Amino acid sequence: MALIETSSLTKDYGTVKALDRLDLQVEPGIIGLVGANGAGKSTLIKILLGLIPPSSGRASVLGLDVVADTHEIRKVVGYMPEHDCLPPDVGATEFVTHMARISGLPRTAARERTAEVLRHVGLYEERYRQIGGYSTGMKQRVKLAQALAHDPKLLLLDEPTNGLDPTGREEMLDLIKRTGTDFGISVVVASHLLGEIEQVCTFLLAIDAGHLLKAAPIATFTQRTPVVAVEVEEGADRLTAALTGRGFKARQEEQCVLLVLESEALYDAVRDTVADLGLPLVRVQQERRRLEDIFREPEQGPAPAAGGVQ
Amino acid sequence: MSAGNRLTASSAAGSIYDLGYRHYEGKRRGRLYAAWSLYVESLRGIWGFGRPMSAKAAPFILAGLYSFFAFLQLAFASTLANAISSGQQVQLFTYASYFTQFGLLLILFCVAQAPEVVCRDQRYQVLSLYFTRAMGRPDYALARLASLATALFLALIVPMIALFIGDVLMKPDTIGAIGDELPRALPAIPACLLIAASMASISLALSSYSPRRAYSAIGLIAYFLLMEAVPAIIYAVAQHGGWTSGDKLVLLTPITSLTGASDWFFGQTLTSDFPATLGPDAYVLACLVSVAAFTAILLFRYRRIAA
Repeated sequence: MALIETSSLTKDYGTVKALDRLDLQVEPGIIGLVGANGAGKSTLIKILLGLIPPSSGRASVLGLDVVADTHEIRKVVGYMPEHDCLPPDVGATEFVTHMARISGLPRTAARERTAEVLRHVGLYEERYRQIGGYSTGMKQRVKLAQALAHDPKLLLLDEPTNGLDPTGREEMLDLIKRTGTDFGISVVVASHLLGEIEQVCTFLLAIDAGHLLKAAPIATFTQRTPVVAVEVEEGADRLTAALTGRGFKARQEEQCVLLVLESEALYDAVRDTVADLGLPLVRVQQERRRLEDIFREPEQGPAPAAGGVQ
Repeated sequence: MSAGNRLTASSAAGSIYDLGYRHYEGKRRGRLYAAWSLYVESLRGIWGFGRPMSAKAAPFILAGLYSFFAFLQLAFASTLANAISSGQQVQLFTYASYFTQFGLLLILFCVAQAPEVVCRDQRYQVLSLYFTRAMGRPDYALARLASLATALFLALIVPMIALFIGDVLMKPDTIGAIGDELPRALPAIPACLLIAASMASISLALSSYSPRRAYSAIGLIAYFLLMEAVPAIIYAVAQHGGWTSGDKLVLLTPITSLTGASDWFFGQTLTSDFPATLGPDAYVLACLVSVAAFTAILLFRYRRIAA
């Protein structure tokens, strides 16, 4: 069963189209949802939660329709909003227990789950203190804990690393990765930071201005490219000239020579040429694609959404 | 060597207690249970339980002051009972007049606690957590309303019980006095229910329109003051002008209507402060309409509010 499925999902706020005929089919895993601010990430999440109705089109989560089965979806989904959502005058334990009960867990089960979940997110002695006195990092952990309290099948995290320092960011990402792999819970992480997505996710959904830009496993975005970079401390121009002379496609970029890898013979040619010219070689490396490139590529055709579907 | 052994032993012991993540296989209850949980949490919150000490001050001082005079009478009754010859009674307050005399304290209770019930979740954006769970928007609003009504009912009924005990103790024949006193005291239960429902629905509906406590509180004070005074003034002016149907304006007042309605429950005739043209039953009807109207306003607010 598909984790998330949408067909020509559209949401318009008057003249602004937040989502424009979005077609998706996503399998369980850790899914990164990337896009610039205002690309429609939060709108998509809110539609999946049934918080706002779609203008047209259909969407389903775990086979449940977002309009007809809203309450069923909410039982199996945990949501961590982007904004602050914690009252300051209660302790984390009290708050998360309350939220677990609102999700339908009986009193004792809610207490047990809360203790367990707070331990998983790394809140210990401070969990009895009032939330108002917490650091941003601790608040983010409580937000994650309340989303996990009722053991959902899917977690929707909206900008989970917002406002965190580098250490807190790493810890939160590690936590998300553990949730997806060790806990066996599917996660959708909305973020505008590609580095984070690359670090934790298995699948990537890129949206831009309400259109689907790309939907594919992360590995396909970061695979090797047929370009070999040869970096030398000096004489890159001479190397470029020499390699072009031997019939290779070479281009100089500062201290690097970029070569198109057409056959293994390239490596021998590079070795010989560098040795002949007596150049100080730094590295020879096959280049990898970077995730950022998907936003740099020009759009192919008028309807990129249709082409990107897996 | 031995140090290394100890190290592995302790880490092994640590892993015994680290069970890893466990899925929850137990029972999951539905919307009614969620609403009940919210009701309980909300009722505790109104009295400041599970919150810092400062949160307990306002509700307990105001509700305590409201009950204080009834307990004063109870204290008199229990100490003076022997000194009073039969037939004489120290009865400063009656069931019917108590709310009229001290109801202002409960208005202050509403002003202090109703914003606490609904503004907090808007201000700190907790609503999005409730509305993304299996809880309907009307469920949320009604659970919150029920909790405030219950809190008010508790505040209202405690002095009634104190008055009852006092009146019983003042009579020489205690057992017989219970039988005599009970029929007079029982109307206090429906009267207090109506007062609690009416005040809770008004104050919660108005408070829910602002996320800021201060604005909500000021709005409530303004509403209670203006709605008590303005219809009465217009009525007085109308009487001079010979406009007879102006008496119905008094039905718009929140507190005067409630005292009129509670007189209906206690089977009393209205005092001369009320327009002579309307009977107590008109006030009961007015209060019921007011509960329905303000509940509808509250539900409307939560149907539209962004989560």
